[in-house]
Amino acid sequence: MVENYAVLPCNGLDKCAGAISRELAIKLCESAKNEIICPVFYRVAEAKYNKIACERTLLVIDGCPTRCASKLAAEKKLKTSRKITITEEAKNRNIELANNLRLGENENKLIDMILAELSDAGGKNAQSSDKVQFPNEFEYITYQKDKFIFRLPKNAGFFFNENDCWAYVIGNRARIGVTDFVQKSLSDILYFFPPDIGAKIDQFGEAGSVESAKAVVELISPVSGKVVAINEALEQKPELINENPYESGWIAELELADFEEDKQLLIGCDKYFEIMKKKVDEFNV
Amino acid sequence: MSETTFMGVERDKIDWKPTIDYKKCDYCMECVKFCPHKVFEVKENEEIKLIVKNPNNCVVFCRACSKTCGPDALSFPDKNETTQKIKEIRKEMEGNG
Repeated sequence: MVENYAVLPCNGLDKCAGAISRELAIKLCESAKNEIICPVFYRVAEAKYNKIACERTLLVIDGCPTRCASKLAAEKKLKTSRKITITEEAKNRNIELANNLRLGENENKLIDMILAELSDAGGKNAQSSDKVQFPNEFEYITYQKDKFIFRLPKNAGFFFNENDCWAYVIGNRARIGVTDFVQKSLSDILYFFPPDIGAKIDQFGEAGSVESAKAVVELISPVSGKVVAINEALEQKPELINENPYESGWIAELELADFEEDKQLLIGCDKYFEIMKKKVDEFNV
Repeated sequence: MSETTFMGVERDKIDWKPTIDYKKCDYCMECVKFCPHKVFEVKENEEIKLIVKNPNNCVVFCRACSKTCGPDALSFPDKNETTQKIKEIRKEMEGNG
């Protein structure tokens, strides 16, 4: 069981997902040495919870994508170690949530499943041992707008989609991530949600997401394949994506399914550079 | 070119836009605040207060607004079907070119 967490749940009392967040937080605190941060009381009595939040690792439970608990954590400048969104968890498990504020069979089943998964930490992070050595440094072309510099790696092997994501391909493996345009549009990245190891992802499917105080952006995978590794360093330091999204800020490694097919809808550095420049000029980054 | 084409295909030939489920939508307008491409339009004084005004402004394969939607009222076309359609159009264009 997860222990020594400060648990900051959504307290959306008028939504089923909010009621589930609350119940999950209570169960986490009943069965292990965790403590709840009440989001309502936190707003008026900061001191009571700041100590708990600093001394413990923080688990944020959002009910729905409105992300009230996450926004509160960001507002209070708390360092989140783990984050759960109830509606996402239900979707991933094909559990239909009732539109009811009292918890029923499905809602309790979902809570038990999440509790079981939290207890089984580590199991799903087992990574493939068959590793490809990816280079750690690249050469860049840059585009500057005001004080912002947008880099793009020009090494052979880099491919891009028009959704501002890249794939660096070696043999039947690819590393994937977001471009400078994404990380600069988001500014400080606070959370990283990796895809599951072993998950099969289609080209243009979601391969994890990154989140700042501004927004959540999903990584739209340039390639299809099976996730064989994730960048674990990002779980503690998502800001690595801001530092360099192509080097230490890569997101996942995929075993490619059909790169020749995927390549038809990918572009090289020169072409993406033109698209990125236009996007930069049009947006107020 | 990026605003009128996607992967070389004219944007209006690609069916990719959000669909609002008005049974679920609670008009919180989070999607409007989020989307920088002005895909949605707010109609303050009408019964249906939110519409997809500019579907072709929607970035193909982007589903980010649905992540901001608390009541899960936004859906998108099937990604694989859209990918296949883009490939078909590109093949036709090569044939004609």
